[in-house]
Amino acid sequence: MSSPSTQQGRPEVESAWYVYGIVEADVEVLPEARGVGDPPASVELVRSGDVAALVSEIKRDQPLGRPDDLLAHQGLLDAAAADAAVLPMRFGAVVGSRDAVVQELLTAHHDQLVDALRAVAGHVQYVVRSRYVEDTLMREVLDENPTAAELAGQLHGQPSEATRDLQLQLGEIVNDAVEAKRSADTESIIRALEPVSAATAIRAPTHEQDAAHVALLVQTSRKGELDDTVNRLARDWEGRATLRVLGPMAPFDFIVTTEQGPGG
Amino acid sequence: MTTAVQSQGGAALDRPAGSGLAEVVDTILDKGLVIDAYVRVSLVGIEVVTIDARIVVAGVDTYLRFAEAVNRLNIADTGGKGLPEFLESAQESGAQKKVKGGAKGALEAAGETVQGFIDRNDERPRRSPRHDRVREE
Repeated sequence: MSSPSTQQGRPEVESAWYVYGIVEADVEVLPEARGVGDPPASVELVRSGDVAALVSEIKRDQPLGRPDDLLAHQGLLDAAAADAAVLPMRFGAVVGSRDAVVQELLTAHHDQLVDALRAVAGHVQYVVRSRYVEDTLMREVLDENPTAAELAGQLHGQPSEATRDLQLQLGEIVNDAVEAKRSADTESIIRALEPVSAATAIRAPTHEQDAAHVALLVQTSRKGELDDTVNRLARDWEGRATLRVLGPMAPFDFIVTTEQGPGG
Repeated sequence: MTTAVQSQGGAALDRPAGSGLAEVVDTILDKGLVIDAYVRVSLVGIEVVTIDARIVVAGVDTYLRFAEAVNRLNIADTGGKGLPEFLESAQESGAQKKVKGGAKGALEAAGETVQGFIDRNDERPRRSPRHDRVREE
């Protein structure tokens, strides 16, 4: 699809090319696809050899980073990943010219991109996050830590301003205990999901009561097995932790960039 | 982008149709392919999404929140057992549901609060508390 006129000779608002990700050259983009920007920009493909970049032409002075821009970035890539192999770019990749997309991005890295696309072909990513049920968690911690239980007893009914030190002491013990539980539970969730995954990656917790936060690369054909496993986990952990499963999405967590400066 | 999964996992399993903003932030701001810095054009407006600390660093605030969370075990609206009951059952090792007398010593004050909840069973649906306080969903 050709780009909407790059009006040469009107340098005051230059264009730039926002890059969402890389796909194989035979992919087509639907004309109604929309991406970042306000109003949302149309999306097109810039091809070189066997690979292509999903891009939007945007104005250089255009602010990016609004919530809608972020959602558009991931939404477009997740939709693409459902139908085709895609290498998602990290949010905020902007290239100065269409020619630079072809030369510096696609042609310069052509063979690596082809290899990476082959590696993710037929796979999608899921993210599984588990969050503890607070009172079950606290009860477990007190049950397993006599010191914590004793501190909790001492603190009970006391005005909180007067007991800050004790609270910190208790909180630190609880925190250490929760971290230990998180490692163990993350390990056990990965053990359960590994058989249905091509790869797994541990993510940093995003909440102090997270029980696990992991990304999975799963063969599209094994979705049913993944669902069964996740359902079983959720039943096993009912009352102790909840599970949240996101996906299918583009394989963000499994794309590795090897450092390659302009000098080689 | 949507999965049609029958939620056999029950209330404990959440399969949203798409990622929420916080989850998108977790995914697209530090994951994925990176273009060499020299072909990037600097961006503005990114601060919109970086206000949340995305790494959990344990510190004083965390400790105080955990202490509060322990304290909430006493609070009626959890519908669960209260702390005095817990302590007592821990001392008696097992028999968690059987607290008859009030709690003792320092725990006495809580006796009344707890009393009303002892007979409730623990099986009603729970939701993870206080999601809204933090940066997500």
